[in-house]
Amino acid sequence: MRRYRAVLIALAIAVVGIGLVGRSMKPGTLVATLLSGLTLGALYFLIAAGLSLIFGLMDVLNFAHGTLFMLGAYVAWTWVQNPHGLLLWAGLVLAVAGGSATAAWWLNWSPDRRPGRWTRRWLVAVGVALIGVTAWQWLRWPQALTLLLAAGGGLAVGLGAFRPPVVRPPHRRLVWRGVAVVGLLLVTVLLDAQGPTLASAVAGWGSNAKFVSAIVVGTLAGAVAGALMEWSLIRPLYERPIYQVLLTLGIVFAGNEVARAIWGVGAKRMEKPGWFGQPCRSESLAAWVYEQCASVTVLGRSFPTYRLFVIVLGVLLFVALIVLLRRSRLGMIIRAGVQDREMVEALGINVRQVFTLVFALGAGLAALGGVAAAPFVGVYPEMGLEYMLQAFIVVVIGGMGSVPGAALGALLVGLARAFGDYIVLSGVSLPWMEKAVRMSPSIARASTVLIMAIVLMVRPAGLFGEEE
Amino acid sequence: MSALLDVQDVHTFIGQFHILEGVSLRVEEGQITALLGRNGAGKTTTLRTIMGMTPPARGAIFFDGRPIHGLPTYEVAQLGIGYVPDYRAIFRHLTVEENLHLAERRKGDLKRKADFIYHLFPDLARLRHLKGGQLSGGQQQMLAIARVLVPDNRLLLIDEPTEGLAPVLVEQLVEAIRQLREQTTVLLVEQNFAVARHLADTFVIVDDGRTVCQGTMEELANDPATVHRYLGVAVGGEA
Repeated sequence: MRRYRAVLIALAIAVVGIGLVGRSMKPGTLVATLLSGLTLGALYFLIAAGLSLIFGLMDVLNFAHGTLFMLGAYVAWTWVQNPHGLLLWAGLVLAVAGGSATAAWWLNWSPDRRPGRWTRRWLVAVGVALIGVTAWQWLRWPQALTLLLAAGGGLAVGLGAFRPPVVRPPHRRLVWRGVAVVGLLLVTVLLDAQGPTLASAVAGWGSNAKFVSAIVVGTLAGAVAGALMEWSLIRPLYERPIYQVLLTLGIVFAGNEVARAIWGVGAKRMEKPGWFGQPCRSESLAAWVYEQCASVTVLGRSFPTYRLFVIVLGVLLFVALIVLLRRSRLGMIIRAGVQDREMVEALGINVRQVFTLVFALGAGLAALGGVAAAPFVGVYPEMGLEYMLQAFIVVVIGGMGSVPGAALGALLVGLARAFGDYIVLSGVSLPWMEKAVRMSPSIARASTVLIMAIVLMVRPAGLFGEEE
Repeated sequence: MSALLDVQDVHTFIGQFHILEGVSLRVEEGQITALLGRNGAGKTTTLRTIMGMTPPARGAIFFDGRPIHGLPTYEVAQLGIGYVPDYRAIFRHLTVEENLHLAERRKGDLKRKADFIYHLFPDLARLRHLKGGQLSGGQQQMLAIARVLVPDNRLLLIDEPTEGLAPVLVEQLVEAIRQLREQTTVLLVEQNFAVARHLADTFVIVDDGRTVCQGTMEELANDPATVHRYLGVAVGGEA
C-alpha cells in the first residue's frame, strides 16, 4: 500500500511538472526532453543506489561516492588511451591483493597459528613499508623482484591485520577459497609476464571491444577502491559519525587533487563506442541496428543513440539489483541489516564483512556510472562532486536504504534537470502569462531541491523511507 | 563438573552507567536456568553482555570452557549460542521463511530442522509466506524462538518470551520451551514467576546489577522470603 502511494506521489509531481513546462512543447521536443531526463536519471540512479544502500545498512554518509564515479571515468579513459600503463599498475594492486588473500586464507585454514601480538605489529609495519617502497620503485627495479616484494608486503599486512575466525569454516569452503587464491596469484604472474602483449592487443581492439572492457575494468577498479576505502578508512570510524563525514569529505578534495595531479586539469574526451558512433542519423531503432548511427529520429527529432544505451543500462542494473536483493542470501542480509544490524550479527553473520562487500558493490555501481557518463559528459576532476550532490538529493527523495526509492528519486531528479534545462533555453509560459519568461540556468538546479522539499513535506522519510 | 556457561563477576558499563556490578552465574548443560530479578536489575544487560553486544569491562565469561568475553557478537553466536531478545527483533520486510533462512549457519540447516520447528510451532508453517511485520506479537515471539532453533545451538538465551502475550499463547510457548529442554540448554529471563517455576530447573537472582543468590528452583519455591524480597511476588500467587 505504502509503495503504491509513494509511486503515486512521484507520478503526481512528474505529471504536474511536465504539464506546466511541456504544455507549449512540440511532441518531438517533449519526448526528446523526457529521454534526456531518463538518461540523467539512469546516471543518478547508479550513484544513488550505492549511496542509499551504504547509508541504510551502515549509517555512513559517504560523500566520497562521487569520487568513485570520477575514478571509474578516469580509469576507463586511461584503459582506452593507454592500456599499457594501467596494466602495469594493475600488477602492483593484484600482487598486494594476492599476498593478503593468501594471508587471509592461511589464517582461516589454521586459526591457531596466529602470530603473537608484537609480531603482528611488526608484520604490519614491515608490510606497509614494503608496499610503499615497491610502489615507489615500481617499474624501476626488476619486475620479478617488485612483484615478489609487493606480494610479500600484502602477505605481511594480512598476517598482521586480519583476525582468524573463532570457528573454522567448513573444509570444502576453505578448499574452494584456496583454489580462488591460487587463481588470483596465477593471474597476477600471468598479467606480469604477458602484460605488454595484452596491452598492445587491447590497443589494437576496435572501439566496441575497448568500451565493453573499459566498463569491466572501470567497475572493478571502483569496487576495489571502495572495498579498500571501507576497510582502511571508514571501518575504524563506525562509532564516530562526525569523523566519518569529515573524512569522506576530505577524500573528495584529496581525490580531486590526485586526479588533477595524475591526469591534468582539463576535461578529457572519451570516444563513443562504434555501435553508437557512426556520423549519421537512423530513421528508427530497427535501422540503427544495421547503421549504428550516433543518433536516431524520435518523433521527427534527432536523439543520440548512446543516451538510449545509458537508459537501458540503468534499467538493466536496476532489475539486477532488485533480483540480488530479493533472491540472494546477501540481499536477505542487506534487507535485514537495514532494519536491525545487531540482530543480524546475533544470528552469527559477520556484518562487518557484509559492509565491505556492500561498499564495494555500491562503489562499483558508481564507477560504472562514471564509465557510462564519460562518452557524453567528458572526464574531468569535478564531475564527482557535481553528480554527487544530485545523487544526495535523489537519496533523500527516495528514502534512505531503498533501491526502488533511489530509482524513483533518480527519475524525478533527472526529469527535473532535463525540463529545467529546457526552460532555461526557451523560457516558460504559464497559463496566466502573456509571454514566456526567461529564467537563469540556476532554475534547473533549484528545481530538484524544490522537488525534494515537496516530497519531504508529504513524506518526511522520503518516498520509500521508513520512519524510525 | 564444569558448566556449559560460566559467567564470573562480570561488570558492564553502558555509556557512563555501571549497569552490571558483579554478575556471576553458571548454566549446566541440559537444564533450563531462570534468570530472575526486578525490572532494571540487569537481566537483559546480562544476556547482551554474554552475546558481546555490550562487552564487559571486567570479569570473564566461559562457554564450554573457552573464554568468550571480548569476542564480537557474530563469533559468540557461531560458537553455538542463540539469542532471543525481549523486543523479538523479527525482520519486518522478510517473510517468515526468509527470517528462518537468514539464521542458517550452514546450507541446509533449515531443511533439516523444518519438521521439528513447524511441529513445535504449527502456526508458523501456515504463515510461512507472510512478512514478519504482518505477524501478531505472539506469532513474532514464536518466530524469534524458531529462528534460534535453525542452527545447532547449544545454548539459548531467551529474554521475556511471555511478556505481553495472551494467556493461551503463554501456555503454548511454555509448552514449546519445555520441549526444548531435550534439545538444548536454556537461560531464560522471565518476569512471570509462575512460568519460571514451572519451566526452570535452577535459578539465578540478580538485583541492582549483582548476583544475590543461585540454586535449584525447588529451593527457591520453598523460600518465600527470598522470592518476596527480590521479586516482590508471593510464591503461590499467579502473576
